[in-house]
Amino acid sequence: MAEALRAKAPLPFLQPEISRPALVIRGLSVDAKNRPILRQVDLEIPRHQVLGIIGPSGAGKSTLLKTLNRLVDLESPSLAVTGRVELDGRNIYDRSVDADEIRARIGILFQRPVVFPCSIFHNVLFGVRRVNRLPRRNWHRRAERSLREAALWDQVKDRLDDDATTLSVGQQQRLCLARTLALEPEVILMDEPTSALDPRATQAIEELIVRLKRQHTVVLVTHDPAQARRVTDSLACLCICDGAGELLESGPTAVVFRDSRCCEAIHELEGGPPGVR
Amino acid sequence: MRRLVDRLFRLATGLCALGALGLLTAIAFTLVARGLPALGRGSAGSTVGASLGLGGVLYPFLGTLLLVMTALLVATPLATALALLESVYLRGGARRALRIWLYVANAVPSILFGIFGLLFFVMFLDWGKSWLAGGIVLGLMILPTITVSLAERIAALPTRYRRAAAGLGLTRSQIIWAVLLPQSWGGLVSGALLGLARAAGETAPIMFTAVVFAGATLPDGVRDSPVLALPYHIFVLAQDSFDPAAQIQLWAAASVLLALVFGLSLLTLPVRLRLSEEARNG
Repeated sequence: MAEALRAKAPLPFLQPEISRPALVIRGLSVDAKNRPILRQVDLEIPRHQVLGIIGPSGAGKSTLLKTLNRLVDLESPSLAVTGRVELDGRNIYDRSVDADEIRARIGILFQRPVVFPCSIFHNVLFGVRRVNRLPRRNWHRRAERSLREAALWDQVKDRLDDDATTLSVGQQQRLCLARTLALEPEVILMDEPTSALDPRATQAIEELIVRLKRQHTVVLVTHDPAQARRVTDSLACLCICDGAGELLESGPTAVVFRDSRCCEAIHELEGGPPGVR
Repeated sequence: MRRLVDRLFRLATGLCALGALGLLTAIAFTLVARGLPALGRGSAGSTVGASLGLGGVLYPFLGTLLLVMTALLVATPLATALALLESVYLRGGARRALRIWLYVANAVPSILFGIFGLLFFVMFLDWGKSWLAGGIVLGLMILPTITVSLAERIAALPTRYRRAAAGLGLTRSQIIWAVLLPQSWGGLVSGALLGLARAAGETAPIMFTAVVFAGATLPDGVRDSPVLALPYHIFVLAQDSFDPAAQIQLWAAASVLLALVFGLSLLTLPVRLRLSEEARNG
């Protein structure tokens, strides 16, 4: 009996908590008023992994990312979303779903850091004290924990009351990450989070991304194949077909990099002719 | 040739500025020079008997202050609500309609507000002449100015703040309180200041609704409780201007009105300085 159990003892990747994808995208299309942006995307986003989304500009990478936490609702002029995005088996586009709650559970990091014009301390707590009504006595502990998670604590612990804009851009981006982490999100979406950063700050963020997947699921939009190789576990490659973005291939990063069509698209991003490497 | 045109243009601009500045300085100087001596005289030179202090303009001064503050209290919350409606909640046609309505309301002559106040508050509600009626009418009059000023400031806020706050899961009302209002209240301040200066100087909206020339001090209720007010005081005294005693009071009233508006804008100066600094750095 014990042996039978052991035989059935699930390997880590078979544990239900882990094997169930964090997000499931089915038949997702996004249309602007008179042109399609994304067409029929099907994708599963594995839990506790870093999924990269790569592809040429205009293939709808950022739009795809923004549909995952319904930030697409805010676009003006508005975009029409059809299809499903399932979180815990429930379509987040159902009428009964509260979009604000979804956005608290699925955090996002933008290309350029957006810090609010207040202190570092209040920036970290900006979401959590309002959304989760975190009591004041827990503020300091939560701020410290989030800043530590974002590898920023040692640099700012003596200047928490300073204006957040006094930080460098790389530090601001990590502050934005800390602000998202304070809400304890299940999934963190990142829209080319290092495109405004220098190589050192980029490296700091990349190390963080890899560390984050222990607790969270990360979806990373990138235009840099080298970055995709360095940090992602699986990859979704988008391309432009008939004026709209389509999913070319998805799977483990190494596999996608071997796919000939993706190879072509990715090598174009690297600036070289296809097939050189 | 191009440099000549450039110089001529600069000369013309400078002359215009000097002219405007000179005119304003001359008016202010005349008012102060003629008004200051009158302010010290108390009621001795007064022909109207009831007035006391500040050369007879103490109660008109207090009355105007009361009217203007009431107008601000009425207009500020309404303007905030309308501005949020315009810039956050409404879209498309309804938003355009509200915007047009605001500009039209801003262009309505002030006497029409006075007539409305007379028909509605004084006659229909049977308040008689009342400071509250005057304050509300003035508040409605400056409402579009404050609303447009605030709404434009909200519209000018970078969308990245709204997006970042929404990305954290804040609801729309939380975004309003945490992001939009704290970053745009400068618009409210400057709009209120513009409106306030206008409200302090208007005669038409209050002459049928809120003020008398003599015989009132501070109100102790709403019904039939008029106040004295500086612009109306000036208006009546000016019709009497052959009487030298009335003339003295006229100058006193005018310089006090000028000082009031100047003082109120001085009061908000620190706020406005900080805001313009933020605007430069932001």
